Amino acid sequence: MSGFMQTAVSQILVKGQFVVLLYFLAVNGWYLILLVSSLLELRRHMLLITDESRHLLLSSTLSPTISILAPAFNEETTIDASLRALLALQYPNLEIIVVSDGSKDRTVQVLIERFDLVPVKTIYEQRIKTKPVRSLYRSSTYPSLVVVDKDNGGKADALNVGLSFARGELVCAMDADTLIEADGLQRMIRPFLYGTDVVATGGTIRVVNGSEVKFGRVVRTAVPTRLLAGVQVVEYLRAFLFGRLGWNRLGGNIIISGAFGLFQREAVLSAGGYLHDTVGEDMELVLRLKRLSYERGGPGKIAFVPDPVAWTEVPESTKVLGRQRDRWHRGLADVLWRHRGMFLNPRYGVTGLVVFPYYAFVELLAPVIEAVGLIALALGLATGVVDWSFAGLFYLTAYGLGTALTAFTLILEDLSFHRYETFRDRALLFWWALVENIGYRQLTVYWRLRGLWKFMRGKKDWGSMERKGFHPVPAG
Amino acid sequence: MISKQLLNIVMLVEIGLLALAVGVFFAHGFWLLLNQRRIRRLTDGARESLSHLVTRGTVNVEDIDALRQLPNDVQVIAFLEMSRNVTGTGKERLSFVARQVGLVDRAEKLCASRRWTRRLRGARILSRLGVVDPLVQQLLSDPHPAVRAQAAEWAAAQPSVPVISAMLILLADPATQARFAVQDALLRMGGIVAGPLATFLERHTGRAAEAGLRVAESLAEPSFGPAALRLSRANDVGVRVAAAKLLGAVGDAAAAERLMELLDDADSGVRAAAAHSLGRMQHWQAASLLALRLRDSAWKVRRAAGLALRSVGAPGVLFLRRAIKEDDAFASDMAQQVLDLPTAAASG
Repeated sequence: MSGFMQTAVSQILVKGQFVVLLYFLAVNGWYLILLVSSLLELRRHMLLITDESRHLLLSSTLSPTISILAPAFNEETTIDASLRALLALQYPNLEIIVVSDGSKDRTVQVLIERFDLVPVKTIYEQRIKTKPVRSLYRSSTYPSLVVVDKDNGGKADALNVGLSFARGELVCAMDADTLIEADGLQRMIRPFLYGTDVVATGGTIRVVNGSEVKFGRVVRTAVPTRLLAGVQVVEYLRAFLFGRLGWNRLGGNIIISGAFGLFQREAVLSAGGYLHDTVGEDMELVLRLKRLSYERGGPGKIAFVPDPVAWTEVPESTKVLGRQRDRWHRGLADVLWRHRGMFLNPRYGVTGLVVFPYYAFVELLAPVIEAVGLIALALGLATGVVDWSFAGLFYLTAYGLGTALTAFTLILEDLSFHRYETFRDRALLFWWALVENIGYRQLTVYWRLRGLWKFMRGKKDWGSMERKGFHPVPAG
Repeated sequence: MISKQLLNIVMLVEIGLLALAVGVFFAHGFWLLLNQRRIRRLTDGARESLSHLVTRGTVNVEDIDALRQLPNDVQVIAFLEMSRNVTGTGKERLSFVARQVGLVDRAEKLCASRRWTRRLRGARILSRLGVVDPLVQQLLSDPHPAVRAQAAEWAAAQPSVPVISAMLILLADPATQARFAVQDALLRMGGIVAGPLATFLERHTGRAAEAGLRVAESLAEPSFGPAALRLSRANDVGVRVAAAKLLGAVGDAAAAERLMELLDDADSGVRAAAAHSLGRMQHWQAASLLALRLRDSAWKVRRAAGLALRSVGAPGVLFLRRAIKEDDAFASDMAQQVLDLPTAAASG
């Protein structure tokens, strides 16, 4: 390389390092604020719920009706157990609407046979345009069960159909294979009882891989020993316990997981339901509800409640996980682009001035900055601008604070719910918190960059999610 | 270039933070383990002493002393655990023992605290123990809604005229948490609330009346009839809906007559509630009017009318069968759907 070139590359690398390191420090500094915020919020929450009597709510005829919307696509192997677990949820006024989204397997037949379903005339109040409904079933033995069979249109379309059939004041959107803990709804409904300004609440999603499941319930929790599942346990804890809980206190929650969220039905219908042409339909709906609350007035508070738990199976193959992360990032980009009018717009309060820029600069652009940093480091090593010891130090510094924050998240979990009790689980959790920085994080950078690239090219496919199903996992 | 020295400093800070976090994480885990064992060991003993005291009905000084010597947290755990499993005399004995060991005194001190979290904790302990205490009653007017809600929960087990009066005032509470707890508590008090609630409903309108009507609907006492009739003419739609539901629960001739009038109300929610109530009363004389509502412009009214006809029994089913052959596709489809419903789903 010529002297001039070397100097130029050196200059770029030097400046690039500064930018990347400053970005890392700024992001982690913000995370630190979120961590403190979540600690305060968690303390307040624990004080509120310690020794509370939820059985009063459970047996009260005044409790609002909740309609659970469970979209199902080719779930013949798991639908029986999943639905029985839903029917056994501890909530007094419950309606369950299973929407088979054009399943090509025996999902509907299994339901007909095992839940005494009979076909009824298919009419409903269609307030949102959806794919045609083929047939409607009601159960002879479970009065609160409604099964809808419709043409395939995607999860958003299935949820919209479910919204049309629901009669509850609140609707709980979930994935058909999500395992909601028996008292999850009792816990998640609290914000709706506490205030009239709440439009949606979300609960915590935990990773079921490695835990033991019987009859649709998690009976023994354990941290998985396999790498991909293990690091995702740590990721989920971080996302929910300090991400969403932290934003709760700052008034900036805009994400309710599509796997477990509770919404005011009328508000969702008035907003037009879920959008079909986005892969981030859950975040899009929440942001739209928030936006409309600023524009039209009315309830707009999004509350995250940490103690209701739903368990989900996370992908254990890089291929499937990559597709999921790529889709999530495409969804994020799409949602931010659709609502770009909110960006730094004082009309939208905290959401426009703080939350939106955070999601744009931190969540959306993080993989770009991280990739630039990694490439610059590699280039620096290749051109001899940096030596190995410096590169190692730079790498460790960049990821070190993140790891420390993850460790603090583990403390939050331990101080509050401590679901992982054994020494083995603690050691594993800490191990995965360290290991995720070596290889896994870089992989997620690649997947998210791929998602961004696809978004820019206008791709909107979901990709397939292969699941193993909730079979009992041997202890050990 | 960023100096190695700077990176080293940042790195050292990070290592310090990480070491602190790891230390706290594992130390807390270890403490949890020891504490759980300690609590388990101590509560086993406490459970035994408490069951002696609660079931035998005689005061055993040794057992009381043993309970008194327990750490505060274990005392609370043991008493609250026991409170879930006893009622009536057992609960009275439990609150007596709690007073003897000093738990009630401590809870009362918490109730008088400046911090709402402590007041909430105190009210929660006294509620669970079923202690009759004027301090908790005072908390019905606490500035924090969570504390008011907890006091309302306590009040459910203490139905007296002053408590009921205080609770009825709270039906207009702007905080939904407190309002819900008050409604629920009134409901749990049962029939004793009927008289004061009927008087309350005769004098109130708006949000307070709506909240009261919901309680009255579940209590379904005939004495609510006049108030329900009056409120069914209120301007507020929510109040009219709740009044229509209450009329269905009251179920007398005057209620049925008014409900048939409400089938023509300007608001679809009120019409649907009226249809639902007529079905609940199985008022077959309204079948022809309900059949007309199968042609209503609002889905929820057609649906409620169809289900009501099904509830009415043979005359209703006859109207539904006739409706299937009608020219009006809305009426025909709804009638068919309702007739298709399995019995369990139709009554749900």
